[in-house]
Amino acid sequence: MCGIIGCVGRDDGTLETLVHGLSKLEYRGYDSAGVALTGPGTGLDICKRAGEIDDLRDGLAGRTLSGTVGVGHTRWSTHGPPTDENAHPHMDCAGNVAVVHNGIIENYQPLRDELTRAGHTFTSDTDTEVVPHLIEDALEGGPDPEEAVRTAISRLDGSYAIAAVVAGHEVVFAARNDSPLVLGIGDDALYLASDVPAFRDYTDRVIYLDDGEFARLDGAWTVTDAEGTVVEKPVDTVDWDPEETGKSGYDHYMLKEIHEQPRALRQCLRGRVDELGGAVDIGDLGDLSPTGVQFVACGTSYHAGLYAAGLFRAAGVPAQAFLASEYASGVPPTGDALVVGITQSGETADTLSALREARRRGARTMAVTNTVGSTAARECDHAFYIRAGPEIGVAATKTFASQLAALNLLALATAGGDARDIVPALRDLPGDVQAVLDDSTAPAVAETYEDAPAYFFIGRGLHYPVALEGALKMKEITYKHAEGFAAGELKHGPLALVTENTPVFAVVTGDGELARKTVGNVKEVEARNAPVVAVTDGASDVERYADHVLEIPETHPRAASVLANVQLQLVSYHVAARLGRSIDKPRNLAKSVTVE
Amino acid sequence: MSVQTAVVLAAGEGTRLRPLTRNRPKPMLPAANRPILEHVLDALVDASVRHIVLVVGYRRERVQEHFGPTYRDVSLEYVVQGKQLGSGHALLQAREVVDGPVLVVNGDRVIEASSVRDVAGAYEEGSAAAAIAVLEHPDTGQYGAVTLRDREVADIVEKPDTDEYRLINGGVYAFSPSIFDAIAETPREAGELALTDTLSRLLDSERVRGVHTQGLWVDATYPWDLLAVADEVLARGRVAEPLRGDRVWVHDEATVHPDATLRGPVVVGPDSEIGPGAVLGPTVSLGGNVTVGPNATVERSVVDIDARVDAGSTLRDAVLGGGVHLGAATTIPGGPADVRVGSRVFESQRLGAVVADRTQVRGGASFAPGTLVGPNVTVGPGVHVTGTVSEGAEVVR
Repeated sequence: MCGIIGCVGRDDGTLETLVHGLSKLEYRGYDSAGVALTGPGTGLDICKRAGEIDDLRDGLAGRTLSGTVGVGHTRWSTHGPPTDENAHPHMDCAGNVAVVHNGIIENYQPLRDELTRAGHTFTSDTDTEVVPHLIEDALEGGPDPEEAVRTAISRLDGSYAIAAVVAGHEVVFAARNDSPLVLGIGDDALYLASDVPAFRDYTDRVIYLDDGEFARLDGAWTVTDAEGTVVEKPVDTVDWDPEETGKSGYDHYMLKEIHEQPRALRQCLRGRVDELGGAVDIGDLGDLSPTGVQFVACGTSYHAGLYAAGLFRAAGVPAQAFLASEYASGVPPTGDALVVGITQSGETADTLSALREARRRGARTMAVTNTVGSTAARECDHAFYIRAGPEIGVAATKTFASQLAALNLLALATAGGDARDIVPALRDLPGDVQAVLDDSTAPAVAETYEDAPAYFFIGRGLHYPVALEGALKMKEITYKHAEGFAAGELKHGPLALVTENTPVFAVVTGDGELARKTVGNVKEVEARNAPVVAVTDGASDVERYADHVLEIPETHPRAASVLANVQLQLVSYHVAARLGRSIDKPRNLAKSVTVE
Repeated sequence: MSVQTAVVLAAGEGTRLRPLTRNRPKPMLPAANRPILEHVLDALVDASVRHIVLVVGYRRERVQEHFGPTYRDVSLEYVVQGKQLGSGHALLQAREVVDGPVLVVNGDRVIEASSVRDVAGAYEEGSAAAAIAVLEHPDTGQYGAVTLRDREVADIVEKPDTDEYRLINGGVYAFSPSIFDAIAETPREAGELALTDTLSRLLDSERVRGVHTQGLWVDATYPWDLLAVADEVLARGRVAEPLRGDRVWVHDEATVHPDATLRGPVVVGPDSEIGPGAVLGPTVSLGGNVTVGPNATVERSVVDIDARVDAGSTLRDAVLGGGVHLGAATTIPGGPADVRVGSRVFESQRLGAVVADRTQVRGGASFAPGTLVGPNVTVGPGVHVTGTVSEGAEVVR
């Protein structure tokens, strides 16, 4: 998982454009970063550092890098530890070729052996470094740089988005296979990057490259296939505002994004719910009537998948959720099932490979994603957008809320069921989330339990995925041990972990059978003297057994899961803030994981 | 315009507007169906201001979330006033992020771009240390009263007891950077620093231009004033939604049943739904995601975001906060009425009822004219509500 950028046509602003773009891509990796610049008649200037973009800025402070064309990279290690040497760009022996790369080159070892035998010297542990040396080899004998880069790329197996510059040439070359790459078309300049925010401040016109395509950016752009045949590419316009990528007064993107949930939910529901008619409208997708559904996803999206599978089963449609990495390595019988991949970025490698495997076996596929034009959206038979807007914090918050809302719409439209109760609850959801944000006592709960050695989360039915997600959020940003359990499972083992120092967060809403059973589990915990934090709408008597209450408005049980999750997001955020964690960029994690 | 930076004071709660300020500061209360502050920022952007500093404090997340990092392509910078210790203290918080001459405006009153331009222009003539907008107002006792001599401010008195004044301070200023030192040197009154205290001191040694402005200027002091603010804003068509008929503005993403009647001026916000047989207007403002059920009648009312008015209800002269739910056949018959706030009585106010955020009314209830209902109140079915109901109360028959 890494981010790459390149630009041509920014003249003296080239370096600044690259560094600014990298700062926008930092969510994709932040353990090292670097840039390389060149221009007509000049050599190659390069600067790279282990650490965050700010460390790169420090490295650049004492130097003058000049050039009118360049590439840059922000890294999240897969091959070799984060060091200055392993940071990109990588160069050839002579220092005339600079390459940045996102992905994994699977045949790098034989290539490296071959190049070493031919006399090339390697300075890093990375798979990427074979690429500049391959280009150097191909340049010998004097073919033009484009031909050399093409020759090098043709030798690679694996996943990559690659950008390269060659000293003295005002051109950026790029190629894509299984890793995201998008071109930005400005009035006077051209850009390429792993993701749109890298250049969104300069242009909103983009071209999404497909696997196997090769791009040349000089004064103009040309996209060709592996054989060199020109490919006609549509230029899309993205509607994301650059304004959505600043922190606007919040200490962290995560807190900003938590507070953006009412707005994100409004966008998700816009034009899709009709309360007075008691219906939902998701266009053509509503005509699908799957006889079974398999959700494949990772991390937070997997929890959304568990929730969605519950919705479909409640409507009488067999449905299951699978971890994408497990699904791909042992695909269950798909039958006629619709296989739905849930991925915020649309680039999650594990989810993409599960979807591809399902497709190979003849299943229909759908992507539920936040990213228009993403690989998942383009490769699946159907795409359904959650419209949450860009999310920068590595820990997913608003996109989870929007996934749950969107999956409710998908279930109502394709599996049926009575929409009349649920649609008003969905329309109330933005305001109800606002109510939670306005009145949450999560900061006080966080203060009380910031020193706990472990946190447990329990829920039943649709609140079980909320318990899992609450624990995941706590792990991700506080680095503390946290586990989510189905409330009924507690007594079958995990109860042994519960002590008077381990708070248990219980999600209990309504006063039906599920609530009564969960309250029973809360009593088991209370009897072991564990502190209990109840996340509740006050309908049951769970508050009698709780040390703290995080209140949510009374609503439909399906909407209650979204509201309970907001409270748990706030608890994790405030614990992490009190502990001084790197909330937006937790250690060892990256926003969207494009390696398997 | 060469003064391109503006500081907007948006940190204060506006306590006299309680209970509507339970969850947001006064600048975020609706002027028709958009926050007051949005009108203020429109005026600044229309007057070519390129950098806006928002001083936020009370419930600042609501401001930050609504506007984000830019507004109409103009960058917004947020500065936090931790404790609300007066307008001068608020401005002082922006000291580190401002250099050069600066415009200062109150974030809680609807103003027009012409006022901003006029004040900036007068300052740029270069003869005075500061320029402020002044305007004629019938109620000088609520504001800073101003006397002019030639075109300069001779005197400024905060909330005078006498009625000898005619002009008030419009809350639009242009200052040189030395204003920050002047504020810092002003002695505090009861712990607070009012910008007008600094201005009065400035008058002893400097010349301050008073700029007579004519444009739209509306302020809400009490909750029911939001109705009058909406009257003014709608009368001038200061709404964001597209025009659909005679003074009828409906957002593209709103649904109006063909059998509903909209009598202008009416504005309907995004994601709202109006049922068959409903009659809206004149002078009705609906925020986003509002539901008006079949056969409901709404006249001269402000209905804020996420509110829900069920079938067969009647509303006149009502202000509904965000997320308020009025059950079927709720009746708010309208003013005039004597409104009691604490020990004060405001006579003959045209007010049906003010119902604050997220209050739930179970249906068949009715509200005596002039009722003030706090947030998160539950009103049982069929109850007749009168007087003042405090936050979180349950009202049963």
